[in-house]
Amino acid sequence: MSYVIPVGPFHVALEEPYKIEVECEGERVIGAALKVGFNFRGIEWLAQHKNMTQSIALLERVCGICSNVHSMSFCMAIEQIGAIEIPPRAKYVRVVLSELERLHSHLLWAGVAAELMGFQTLFMEAFRLRERVMDVLEAISGNRVNYSMNRIGGVNRGVDRPDEVRAGVREVRDVLRRKLIPVFTTDATVAARCRGVGTLTRADAIAYGVVGPVARASGVDVDLRRDATYLAYGDLDFAVPSRPEGDVLARVTVRALELLESCAIIEQALDRMPGGALHVGDVYSVPPGDAVLRIEAPRGEVFYYVASDGSDTLARVKVRTPSFVNIPSVVAMVKGADLADVPLIQAAVDPCYSCTDR
Amino acid sequence: MTPAPPGPPDPKRTIGGEWIRRPDGFWLAVRPEAIPSAAERMLASGARFAALVATPDAKGNVAMSWHWDAGGTLLTLHTTLASGESAPSIAHVYPGADWAERETHDYYAVTFAGRADTTPLVLRADDPPGILLANPGGAR
Repeated sequence: MSYVIPVGPFHVALEEPYKIEVECEGERVIGAALKVGFNFRGIEWLAQHKNMTQSIALLERVCGICSNVHSMSFCMAIEQIGAIEIPPRAKYVRVVLSELERLHSHLLWAGVAAELMGFQTLFMEAFRLRERVMDVLEAISGNRVNYSMNRIGGVNRGVDRPDEVRAGVREVRDVLRRKLIPVFTTDATVAARCRGVGTLTRADAIAYGVVGPVARASGVDVDLRRDATYLAYGDLDFAVPSRPEGDVLARVTVRALELLESCAIIEQALDRMPGGALHVGDVYSVPPGDAVLRIEAPRGEVFYYVASDGSDTLARVKVRTPSFVNIPSVVAMVKGADLADVPLIQAAVDPCYSCTDR
Repeated sequence: MTPAPPGPPDPKRTIGGEWIRRPDGFWLAVRPEAIPSAAERMLASGARFAALVATPDAKGNVAMSWHWDAGGTLLTLHTTLASGESAPSIAHVYPGADWAERETHDYYAVTFAGRADTTPLVLRADDPPGILLANPGGAR
């Protein structure tokens, strides 16, 4: 006989409002139902009732972790409608911010995952490193989370102290190589806890439409930075780590290796950053038109659809975040799993409920 | 030397029609009833369902677009639903479309024909759909 365990709406492991009802036979999971929407803020509606400049600050608050990606995607969608070519320097600044944000996001996730594995010392090391990344972001932008770097037609600030950024990235990479990555990729305890757990097959990954590290850990080798390149990524050398196994260990490994790639991208972008203007000047409206804009955020593809009627207020703003498509795949991942593995399986998706509910 | 196995079929070719090339990808206008079979061809080609966008107008019509990614290229099918007209569901083809359809119903009261599960995504079970319409719960 089966029974259902409700977890949430305040999720005890993830400390966010989200509910999962797990159906079990004994301690084996045979099904699950997810409930979201507790963070619904109507951001799309609000963005259609504020002018474009006000909406930049609004959309930066879709997510408390990948905030830059949202303001950047929004601005880039408008730039596409208006056929606005931003200065080369602005492209490189956006790359640096995007990759620092990826470091921040992946390190936060690494800490959460370590804690759920019962690996407290690793949690502390990951969060100490995350603080270092936030220091670097603060040195560039003056802010630790919402950076206010993007404007329509470019960026508000440059990277004025590149040596400070280089020093921070060197320190992060050093600790990653010496401590975090060896533990996450070779430690027997981590492997025992994660190998074969929460498997998402390649076919399910495509059917659920998962993106980012979740897709790449299931053998779906996609990354918009490479496949539909944008900003300055086409001029930079980087690898796209992927694994075929589809389990928690594969997702751990992919994210760990991506951290090193982000460090390399930042250093290249700093070395090759051209001088010149940071933006094209003030832009308060664009001609009528619409555009889809997709960016490789830390958790995967962010999708923006923006439509302009020619006024300073947009006719339609649609935001589809990576968590919105990654979280439903938890249903496939937990089927057949041990009940005790459910928190770790959910965490390995790196879910963001603020993003999901918007 | 053994020739490389053939890659997946190009969904633009298997679906047919006159695709329009835009800066963001390829767009094709279709009738609503053509969406499910096109979704099956997308899946057969390995394309990933990316997003569903609904844009209502003041008369109750809704411009709908379904978006896929095929190797980094955006493929979009779009149509317009008349006031009160249902959209076809593709959740039986792409489980990942389930949340997108439920959210679209919650926000804009668009119904999806052929869905077994009509549970709201964001709203509570007894809330009227169309929370982002000017008149939530009213006729679309």
